[in-house]
Amino acid sequence: MNESREVLLKRLDAAARQVRRDVWRALKAGGSGHAGGSSSAADILAALYFHRLRVRPAEPDWSERDRFVLSKGHANAALGAVLAQAGFIEDAVLDRFYGYESPFGMHPDIKVAGVEMCTGALGHGLAVAMGMALGARIQKQAFHTFVMLGDGELHEGSNWEAAMGAAHYRLTNLTAIVDANKISQSGRVADIIGVEPLADKWRAFGWEVREIDGHNMGEVVDALDGVPFNAERPSAIIAHTVKGKGVSFAEDTYVWHSNNVDEEIYARAIAELGMP
Amino acid sequence: MNTAVAPAASDWRKRAANQTRLAFGQALLELAARDPKTVVVSADTQDLLGIRGYIERYRDRFIEMGIAEQNAIGAASGMATTGLHPFVCAYAPFITARSMEQVRNDVAYANQRVVIGAAASGISLGVAGGTHHALEDLALMRSFPHMTVIVPADVDEAYQATLATRDIDGPVYMRLGGRVEEPPVSPADSVFKLGKAPQLRSGNDVAVIACGAMVEPAVRASDTLRAQGISARVINMHTIKPLDRDAILAAAAETHGIVTAEEHHLTGGLGGAVAELLAVERPTRMRMVGMPDTFAVVGPTLKVRAKYGMTAEAIVEACRSLLG
Repeated sequence: MNESREVLLKRLDAAARQVRRDVWRALKAGGSGHAGGSSSAADILAALYFHRLRVRPAEPDWSERDRFVLSKGHANAALGAVLAQAGFIEDAVLDRFYGYESPFGMHPDIKVAGVEMCTGALGHGLAVAMGMALGARIQKQAFHTFVMLGDGELHEGSNWEAAMGAAHYRLTNLTAIVDANKISQSGRVADIIGVEPLADKWRAFGWEVREIDGHNMGEVVDALDGVPFNAERPSAIIAHTVKGKGVSFAEDTYVWHSNNVDEEIYARAIAELGMP
Repeated sequence: MNTAVAPAASDWRKRAANQTRLAFGQALLELAARDPKTVVVSADTQDLLGIRGYIERYRDRFIEMGIAEQNAIGAASGMATTGLHPFVCAYAPFITARSMEQVRNDVAYANQRVVIGAAASGISLGVAGGTHHALEDLALMRSFPHMTVIVPADVDEAYQATLATRDIDGPVYMRLGGRVEEPPVSPADSVFKLGKAPQLRSGNDVAVIACGAMVEPAVRASDTLRAQGISARVINMHTIKPLDRDAILAAAAETHGIVTAEEHHLTGGLGGAVAELLAVERPTRMRMVGMPDTFAVVGPTLKVRAKYGMTAEAIVEACRSLLG
């Protein structure tokens, strides 16, 4: 594709805006949901699905596809939004968020096209992604596995088992993206249980780390295109983000980790995000 | 049968040394020879499951995860999604309790083909103490949808059952013993069929339904009872899930009562599974032989078993009390 960088970034920014609109639309349909962590992840998800990942929406089980695991599964509204925009699932599914027997609930389900694992219980995705990367290596496949974690999620000790294991096996075909929005369910991560110095932790576990502004599409694209950062180590992208990004009243507050969304709130959010 | 595997398979019995945990490790060699998708995952358990021979031969299909059960299960699930068939070698007490959420979500809920070989179950590592006993693993594992739960009684059954997991399209928990001899109980010509419980002794006075380490005492109990004029059917319930309903319902219909015997807490294991079925389908007088609601003392396995009534004598007593 002979797309200039300027056009690429514009296209991805527009896709990310649409993801955010669709997040709020899904939350309105469900009556509530995780606006904060879905919105902080939107730019990265857009860059993954509309630029970086080699996937085939019409053939979701294509064995050579790149894998993406949303370990912070509570951002499923954003995952559903990109999967719909990419054509894995029908757009109308977004209006069935939380619906009875809907494929689109609060957390990702592997039964849905494009979803690689049932996640949302935190601290699972990195190990699963490590297994996928090992699967690629054992079967001599070229796909890359990406996994997105929350910074609060890193409280779960199982992440560090996987971090240690992936570095031991020098899984250069594995990239962990930390959506570091600095806030978890009850407050600021630094006040709950501090995770800093985060980059040093990953480095100490044997990963090559790059820190980016997770809302600067140029930095996001460069990081995703730049993996593996090291020929011997798995890659970690620490993306500094703003929880609830794009809607002023939801930004940088634990209140919008998960909250109720009615017609009025939805209208205010969409007014800020603008129409397509 | 692939003749190419004959050299590896020829003396597996000797190497298994009457221990189901080692038979599992031996069967992995044959599985790997048959199926290039086979991959073995260890949680620092290379000798526990006897897989050094496998590792030597299939280094590129072996992943050592270290002492990290959560990671072993999660990564095994991830590997399974790529089309591999992972066999996780682990300690029963740790792989069920420590990594139970990974087993539930990544394996059972996501319905991935992961086989868990869980050695050192029950009080088979008696001297190791309560931290290393697994007396609740069947209750935990059989409560998960999609999960198949197998408890081999001897090395032949363990070997065959491990091979049989190839045909199971979903997760499997295989309960294996520890460093204590498990005497052979299967007839030489027996063929393992998932969910189909072999009858080891016939009888219509009473039926003993046993699994794992308690099958051999159940057979001895039946022989003792026969000498006393009581015919005790013995059913080897090697598959706890799916349960052999037909064998249980037939035993309930054709005898005066059922005794279950297992090296597991009386809560939620084989006895619980049989009682759940019979309470609904055919209320039947029962006695349950197994571990009472306490943590076991430290000691040699057979002595600890005896302390808590997991013996042939206890099974005899339970049968007699049903008939009395």
